[in-house]
Amino acid sequence: MADVQVPKQQKCIAILWPSFLVAIVATGLFFSAFDPDDLYPFGEPTEISRMGVYSIGFLSFWLVSAVSGIGTLYFAMTNCMRNLPEPRDQ
Amino acid sequence: MSNPDATGPVTGAQSDEQVAQSLYAKAEKIYPRQVHGLFARLRVMGVLGLLGIYYILPWLRWDGQQALLLDLPARKFHIFFVTLWPQDFFYLAVLLIIAGLTLFFVTALAGRVWCGYACPQTVWTEAFLWIERKVEGDRMKQQKLDALPLNVRKFRIKATKHFLWLAFAAWTGFTFVGYFTPIIELGQRLLTFQLGPWETFWVIFYGFATYGNAGFMREQVCKYMCPYARFQSAMFDKDTLIVSYIPVRGEPRGSRKRSDDPVKKGLGDCIDCTLCVQVCPTGIDIRDGLQYECIACSACIDACDDVMDKMGYEKGLIKYTTEHAMKGGKTHILRPRIVVYAVILMAIFAAFSWSFSQRISLGLDVIRDRNTLYRETADGLIENVYILKILNMDASAHDYNLQVSGIPGMSLHKDMAVIHVEAGGVLELPVRLRADEADLEVRSSHVVFELVATDDAALVAREDAKFLGPH
Repeated sequence: MADVQVPKQQKCIAILWPSFLVAIVATGLFFSAFDPDDLYPFGEPTEISRMGVYSIGFLSFWLVSAVSGIGTLYFAMTNCMRNLPEPRDQ
Repeated sequence: MSNPDATGPVTGAQSDEQVAQSLYAKAEKIYPRQVHGLFARLRVMGVLGLLGIYYILPWLRWDGQQALLLDLPARKFHIFFVTLWPQDFFYLAVLLIIAGLTLFFVTALAGRVWCGYACPQTVWTEAFLWIERKVEGDRMKQQKLDALPLNVRKFRIKATKHFLWLAFAAWTGFTFVGYFTPIIELGQRLLTFQLGPWETFWVIFYGFATYGNAGFMREQVCKYMCPYARFQSAMFDKDTLIVSYIPVRGEPRGSRKRSDDPVKKGLGDCIDCTLCVQVCPTGIDIRDGLQYECIACSACIDACDDVMDKMGYEKGLIKYTTEHAMKGGKTHILRPRIVVYAVILMAIFAAFSWSFSQRISLGLDVIRDRNTLYRETADGLIENVYILKILNMDASAHDYNLQVSGIPGMSLHKDMAVIHVEAGGVLELPVRLRADEADLEVRSSHVVFELVATDDAALVAREDAKFLGPH
């Protein structure tokens, strides 16, 4: 399978799309347990509206799971894919 | 982000492209031809019905408030006569499970009817295709227009299309946000340019998602992004309804004149007009057999039936059928898979309904005053201070009686004579408990607060707390 090369666009979708779905679930679970108004990040009460906290929460969950997705994609590369020679300039 | 080109395999641009094509064919724009017929009419009805529900639902009122409002800012979900609180998240999760199982059940029975008629991706793509056809004309005109170099006329037509798409998408995004924040106020803020930053963000985010998915991605969402499309075949068996071409009847395919006798020419019923391919929104040839890309929209059935009619052949060269029926067998509707899905579904639904009907719409939280552990009153009693958070999750206002037990001779003091909480309201009630030191056996005693509605003995909430003393 050394010659399997997934196009960049497909990689982006593979990272952004599942992490988007996971972020929706995570946001729902997290904020049904915690009221943004009860949260004191870094010891300070927030002055952001609940809608803002939900949104930032969602985007953060998305970011975190997307980063994990990048890691998955990176480590899913097999060694034989890594061992291929660098392309020569033609 | 890692750069795959630096460490990954690079086998030259050309072969790279070839492999990419074999794995993920470079998407060529599909111009689905318009179809008329029974299933097309069914889909239009489905699309109009579902779009109507989506755009009208947030404007409906119930008891003086928005009928369906997942009020995130207020942390309450209003669903007609029911109000769900964050504590009721469990019910929403079970509802989602029920929806998922229903999808499994329907899939096992009737295949991908969800994809073909009800999926938002199909519904909005259909609406965007309709706009495209109104502006650009039919399939032939669209293809001709796209082949032209950019000129004034082409620019005008394309700009009109994208303007209409964007307007429709923006309205979709606005409606979406209207499910989460009261839509009338949202509309007023929109008209006076006073939308909050996050409301604006989500209107634009959802609007662009609609524009991208329905205008450009279309069938690629089904092919590459949809999780259901990937696992739906697991629910399929030989008795599941599928859209299929009947090869024994159609082959060998070939063109002919209407007057020709196919038997004499040695031909099957398929005249190879390729209309079934032209109408396919995912761009496949149904005559190649059941394919993962097929969303069972049955556009090919309508197209082929029309041709069969014109040729004077029997309809149904492409039709809804099952694998068993195609092999000349009988289709079994009642089979273990269906029965198991149905039993599980009904069991969960029954448990959900029972549990929901037993839901007590009263919540009680007890928070100890954190500043002082206890204090001594002037008359030598030990006093603890608490804040009770009372949530009336019921649809009507109630008065409540508060009692406390756990320490003999303990007395309860509160500033309010009557505990009254409005429907859907939250009351923070400071209370003081006083006990004689002689009655306290340990440093931390266990007490129980009990709150009962005066007009409904079933509305009860109990909550444990600690009473601290000097021992």
